[in-house]
Amino acid sequence: MSEPMSPWRKGPAVPAMPKRWRQLVVGGRRRLVVIRAAFTIGLAVLALTTPGFLSRPSLSALLTTVSFVGCVAVGMTLITLSGNIMSFSLGALVGVTAMIFTAASNWGGLAFGFAAALAAGALMNAAQGLVIGWAGANPIVTSIAALALIYGAVEAIGAGATVYPQADVSYGIFKRGIVGIPFEFITFMFVTVIGQLILFFTIFGRNLYMVGGSLRAAEAVGVRAWRTISGAYLWAGVFSALAGIMLAIRYSSADMDFGLGYEYQAIAAVLVGGTVVKGGEGSVVQTFAGTLIIAIIEVVLLLKGLRQEWQYLLAGLLVLAVVVLQTRGTGD
Amino acid sequence: MAQQVVSVQGVSKSYAGVQALRAVSFSLAAGEIRAICGENGAGKSTFVKLLVGITHPDCGVISIDGRVRTVAGPQHAQSLGLGFVAQELSLAPRLSIHDNIWLGSAEVPLIHRRARFRARAQAAMEMLGIGDWDLDRPVSTLSIGQRQLVEIARLLARQARVLILDEPTATLTDAEIERILGVLKLIKARGHSIIYVTHRLGEVFDLCDAVTVFRNGEHVATKPVREITRDGLIELMLGRPFGEMYPAAPAWREGSHAVVVDRLNVPGMVHDFSLVAPSGKILCLAGLIGSGTNMVTRALAGLAHRATGRVTINGREMRLGSAAHCVARNVLFLSEDRAAEGIFHRMTVTDNLVATGLGAHARLGILSWPRLRRFAARLARQTGIDRQRLRAYAGNLSGGNQQKLLFGRTLERAEPGILLMNEPTRGIDVGARADIYRLMRELCRRGYTLIMTSSELEEVVGIADIVVTMYRGRNVARYEREAIEMTSIMADITHPPRATQAVA
Amino acid sequence: MRAFLRTDQHVRPLGLLALCIVVLTLADWGQGRFLSGATAFSTFEIFATTGPVALGLGLTMMIREFDLSVIGMFNLAGCIAVITGGGSPWIGLGLALAAGLAGGFAQGFIIVRLRLGSVAVTLGGLLVFNGLALVLSENRSLPYDNMPLALDLKAPLAAVLSIRSVVALTIFAVAAVVMAVTRIGRDVIAIGSDRRAAMIAGVDVNELMIGIFAFSGVCAALSGVLLSYSLASASVSEASVILVPAAASAILGGVSLGGGTGRPLGIGIGVLVLAVLGTGFNAIGAPPYVNDIAMGAILLTVAILDGPYLIRRLSGLRRRAAPH
Repeated sequence: MSEPMSPWRKGPAVPAMPKRWRQLVVGGRRRLVVIRAAFTIGLAVLALTTPGFLSRPSLSALLTTVSFVGCVAVGMTLITLSGNIMSFSLGALVGVTAMIFTAASNWGGLAFGFAAALAAGALMNAAQGLVIGWAGANPIVTSIAALALIYGAVEAIGAGATVYPQADVSYGIFKRGIVGIPFEFITFMFVTVIGQLILFFTIFGRNLYMVGGSLRAAEAVGVRAWRTISGAYLWAGVFSALAGIMLAIRYSSADMDFGLGYEYQAIAAVLVGGTVVKGGEGSVVQTFAGTLIIAIIEVVLLLKGLRQEWQYLLAGLLVLAVVVLQTRGTGD
Repeated sequence: MAQQVVSVQGVSKSYAGVQALRAVSFSLAAGEIRAICGENGAGKSTFVKLLVGITHPDCGVISIDGRVRTVAGPQHAQSLGLGFVAQELSLAPRLSIHDNIWLGSAEVPLIHRRARFRARAQAAMEMLGIGDWDLDRPVSTLSIGQRQLVEIARLLARQARVLILDEPTATLTDAEIERILGVLKLIKARGHSIIYVTHRLGEVFDLCDAVTVFRNGEHVATKPVREITRDGLIELMLGRPFGEMYPAAPAWREGSHAVVVDRLNVPGMVHDFSLVAPSGKILCLAGLIGSGTNMVTRALAGLAHRATGRVTINGREMRLGSAAHCVARNVLFLSEDRAAEGIFHRMTVTDNLVATGLGAHARLGILSWPRLRRFAARLARQTGIDRQRLRAYAGNLSGGNQQKLLFGRTLERAEPGILLMNEPTRGIDVGARADIYRLMRELCRRGYTLIMTSSELEEVVGIADIVVTMYRGRNVARYEREAIEMTSIMADITHPPRATQAVA
Repeated sequence: MRAFLRTDQHVRPLGLLALCIVVLTLADWGQGRFLSGATAFSTFEIFATTGPVALGLGLTMMIREFDLSVIGMFNLAGCIAVITGGGSPWIGLGLALAAGLAGGFAQGFIIVRLRLGSVAVTLGGLLVFNGLALVLSENRSLPYDNMPLALDLKAPLAAVLSIRSVVALTIFAVAAVVMAVTRIGRDVIAIGSDRRAAMIAGVDVNELMIGIFAFSGVCAALSGVLLSYSLASASVSEASVILVPAAASAILGGVSLGGGTGRPLGIGIGVLVLAVLGTGFNAIGAPPYVNDIAMGAILLTVAILDGPYLIRRLSGLRRRAAPH
């Protein structure tokens, strides 16, 4: 069925925000913005009134856990914006880059470890992006294939053993936070800022919105779509590698259990944050918010005595609700 | 008086604020072949969709065989005896001919391949003279012309009493057209009625008993074919010419040849096409749907991947098949389908306007938004888009404003460019059209080379400095200045005696 | 019936299956580990698990949609059946299948009526079903106190089959017949190859699409229940463990990502290919990663070859390389 033209209206953001920031932060319709604002305020109230939420250890744990999936979610946002829905291999990428980081640091020092892991993440994902953008391969199937290949390759090389850092390699400086904020969360915020800057201040970023919004129109204005799509996947690989590195540092070890299931949590955060699943609309800051919202809900429920298993269910209901709400008002 | 098979009274329909049909009345007798003519956007397709239940009227009454009916959907229409062959065929390529003939029919039981249905399908094929085709062949192996015949076979097999055909011969070979016209006359002799929507005026006079003319969503006239001439029909379709809409062309000055096309070929669509376009002029490619006009411009814009031939722009040879290459060389394209290939609906007007100019406003790869916003404001001012709209989503704009936006992208380039436009005023109201024509003249003045396509004759005659007519993918003729006039162009594009080769 | 045996649909999967069997036999180096009854039995056991899921997913792919939630329903059905099947396994089976039907129907309804993308909705479905399964099972393995049933389900019939694999094969057979011979099958292909054309021709597209999602839910549920009963326990499997083989089987079986191609028989053969690879590599002593790599490589190759721009890009490269 042909895509109906939606009578969307760009609603007012939080009033008194400078115009430029308004475009950066909010991209939704009036009704959706109101619903989201109400929901966020309600959530904030609920969180703040839950005993135990505001305690230092609780907040610290929340901020740390959120950051691993969060970095992956930022990367996933770029993939979704490009119109390629999601990637099933980002979780495996997190695990494999964690192992590469640890092994490479053992071999050549921390800086080398960083470089190797980031490069590996970038390459493995960019290769998928290339295949998807250039040949038009189905993005879901390609990422599933990459998932199988990564697991297979890791098994083949390392037989699934956990990798540990050598005694002389010290992660010490990274284990401390700044003014109490865990360094993982600082990295997450940093990644969000970088992502947002890319989206709004580079030609690549604007091309990404165009390719995701309408591939044919983007080609008609001269965008080389395959380059843009490869770039999106490349950055997603870099951000996922960062998550892998952080995990390796935090847990002083690395194996393929890291990142297990991250892609589902990541895409849930992306969708809840408001990025549209068919691409072309959304932003990384929205994903940041989505990640926090899901995490806060999980913590609040945990504190209220609900078991951890409810997380998935909740995330699913949220995703469904957001997806359905996003297209209300499109009409027949 | 004999009962009318189909009778329509006072039917109106609007889509998203556009009035497609306004209080239309119509009636059709048994055994009559009625042509429906009108320009693009006149309401022909909407009318036909209402008859077969694909959409529903806002008000008005449809009667079949004297009884008032609400046509719920295509299947219901079939049970009422109305059969429809759409312009874009409705065959499933991966199914066989037999399965396609019975696809969606309410008569067919769960185990759908039965002898009796096969027999009816075979009989229908034989009536059309294609009884020797294998019913189990997948439709994907048939040419467009052959598929057209299968669509008609479908209607006959399902015993449609009224056959509604929307532009049935647009892409057929001459032999196939002859066959179809012969078959339709046979069908009429058996008492079926036919509604024949077409641009091909020759066929109207060859085949039909009467013609109904639509214009701007209204029924203008219905006359028996023997009481009207070809010119009279054209006049009814076009209405009074709006002379004031077309800005005067400046004095003719020979320009340098900016665009030279030599033996352009797009398999299946364009054959050995050649063209020379001077800068500072508007060159219009005129032709019917399927004549290849839109494909020529697409090929020049780098969007036709199988195109071969030689294209030289300002002396430099262009690489075919890469849109990015063309945009970089200042060859810009406005698609006939601005919704799917022009506008980014969910980005702002500003974002849309600056889409081709990002490179010029970035330093070291970093964009400067203040500069971009000023740039967008200038473009909006020059094209007549209200400043208030700059932050609105482009998808909300009217058709006219969207088209102006697309023009806006082409302004303020480093040097005057080549502008390729497909149907630039399609679906745009009169006021916006006048603005766009003015814009086109302004671009000419600045030294741009404009190549456009149009299937609206009046527009072709009104705006073009040079007209190149096309028929079935080939050159027919070239007219300049005073030589441009409607009858010869119309003759060229509908059935020229010179073009005898058929498209493969 | 002629159409049933039409070869072009089934050539690729049959060819792949033959290739795998040949390669593995050669790799076996005459030691007789591969071509044995035990290997065949294991193959069909894997077929019984992956097959119905692949069939449901494959059918949604045939109409150009994608049902991500099959994994979740697979897990959820197993949990429901084990929890409610204490008195009688039939009650557990019935309730689980009802859940599959309801879940699939609900998703199909939302997708069709609200005109939403299937990936987003079924992603939500996946998370909801998986979440429910996790909640019900408290993220541990739920035991099912019916060992005789478990043994019965797994007992070899005619040396290579079991009740589970016979059920799976029956579903495939029924689906194949419906697709080849009935109006429903014809309409599914029509919707897959050109949805708009099918609608204009008079097919009730909405109804059929909802039905396919419902069927997909039931298939996933059936597979999950049978597996749980045969293991005498239910647990939540990791999503990718089921999704990868199911999607791969469908694609190997000829389901094109563009819709309209693919048949149940082809999907069944695709499942067999993967099952043969899995058990074959195991039987000849190859380490498990070979299976992963082989599957990944095959999927990637097929995805690239099916890419709509590939031909155009290659001919563009050729044109630039050879000046004319």
